[in-house]
Amino acid sequence: MTMLTGRRVLLVEDESLVAMFAEDMLLDLGCEVVIAMRLEQGLTLARDEDFDLAVLDVNLGNTRSYPIADLLFERCIPFLFATGYGRQGLEAAYQAVPVLQKPYQADPLEHLLTRLLTCEAPAHKGASSVPSTCRCQPAEVEQGRFRADPIR
Amino acid sequence: MPNSRQPLQSEPAAIRPLPTLRHAGQLFETERRLNAVLNNASVSIFLMDDRQHCIYMNRAAEELTGWTLDEVLARDCPLHDIVHHTYPDGRPFPLHECAIDRAFPENNQERGEEVFVHRDGHFYPVGFTASPIRDDSANIIGTIIEVRNISDEKAAAERQRLLINELNHRVKNTLATVQSIAAQTFRGRTDLAVRAVFDARMTALSTAHNVLVEDNWESASLVSVIERSLAPHLLAEVDVNRFQLDGPDARLHPKVAVTLAMALHELMTNAAKYGALSTGEGKVSVTWALSDLGGGQQQLDLTWQEQDGPPVTPPTRKGFGSRLIERQLPLEFDGSAVITYAPAGVVCAMRIPLTQLGWIGQETVEGSLAP
Repeated sequence: MTMLTGRRVLLVEDESLVAMFAEDMLLDLGCEVVIAMRLEQGLTLARDEDFDLAVLDVNLGNTRSYPIADLLFERCIPFLFATGYGRQGLEAAYQAVPVLQKPYQADPLEHLLTRLLTCEAPAHKGASSVPSTCRCQPAEVEQGRFRADPIR
Repeated sequence: MPNSRQPLQSEPAAIRPLPTLRHAGQLFETERRLNAVLNNASVSIFLMDDRQHCIYMNRAAEELTGWTLDEVLARDCPLHDIVHHTYPDGRPFPLHECAIDRAFPENNQERGEEVFVHRDGHFYPVGFTASPIRDDSANIIGTIIEVRNISDEKAAAERQRLLINELNHRVKNTLATVQSIAAQTFRGRTDLAVRAVFDARMTALSTAHNVLVEDNWESASLVSVIERSLAPHLLAEVDVNRFQLDGPDARLHPKVAVTLAMALHELMTNAAKYGALSTGEGKVSVTWALSDLGGGQQQLDLTWQEQDGPPVTPPTRKGFGSRLIERQLPLEFDGSAVITYAPAGVVCAMRIPLTQLGWIGQETVEGSLAP
């Protein structure tokens, strides 16, 4: 039994084979998994159903998963982005969301999901100053103020 | 046109003043406007008479060729001999071999690509459009030729070709590397049958990518995807008549192509192991049809049907293949897929709305629909 056991996870991933792989990984972590592979499916699920966590692939065919992210922000459902491009590939408004570097691996996935559940404040929409640690400060950025990107 | 010596050489009737231009001032104004248009155009414009001599060229044409109109007029020879006299390999290029010259009397807006020679001796690729000019009696008295320097487009196309080659190379290499890593990792720890299944799946994935490579990753031919997916098994089969493929071709989005290829591979493997291809008599037919969904979208209905094989019993456990086909395929493409384990033979019916061709960063792709 871990913290993730029995958690309901929304998995949005548009490649069949990759979705199966990620699903197996989440099942092995003890999660209950609901898969969406297209934007509309993901939006419907994120709006109508209850989830403890979500894993969003950024690129969904010709679109991005940002509208699903916005719904999850509204509903305060913690989530992470999975992308092969890393944080640099994310739009500025989503820089505070934790990123799982693809290809999917069990340990980082478990670590990030656990952190999402233990963080007091869920990620806010906006730029982040503490992207890869577990301090989870709200990381508010004053509007219009210049801020240099942290060195990675 | 102030610089040309004559209007086009033609019957005297053609030279009479245009009736609408009543005043010299009006004529002057018209000519000024015309020159403003011609000399500010970025496309090169040449006006040729019926002997293929250039009698007018605009400023862009002077820059393109390195020759001024006065110099060209003074040469008093076909324009071809000034800007197009040599093939890029150095052979002389006679006028009668010239595509632009051949276009002369016949077709409107004859288009093509050629390589011109600059005054300083360097070659440059051009795209041209040639249209005949007619007199009042519709006799062809010359040609107007638009010419563009297409060096940048050629260079961009070449860069793209290099990038695609690199992409092909990387993808194939990565798949081969994954295969090798798997082989090294599971050496002696997995039974050979499992390894063989894995290798066959990797090969199916790699084959699906071959089809994409052939069309620059924009789309894949449906018929090619189906034929290639079955090819490894076709090769092993003595009797090609055991397979029946029937349906029209279509262009598939790369994602559809890869998933469909993997699905067909799984069906094929299952047929070879337990189904119609596991005995000498069984047959497989793959038939498909396209229908219009409206809005330019098409739907693919594909049926895989086995017959004359051993009696079928439904599997006790759902494996990778049925999970991929029955659950992932509908989710990925908003379609449906049903596998029926009928006693007479496995039937798989797939319905896939075909996605518009294109990818992120490319708003639309001109991909032709199947006829």
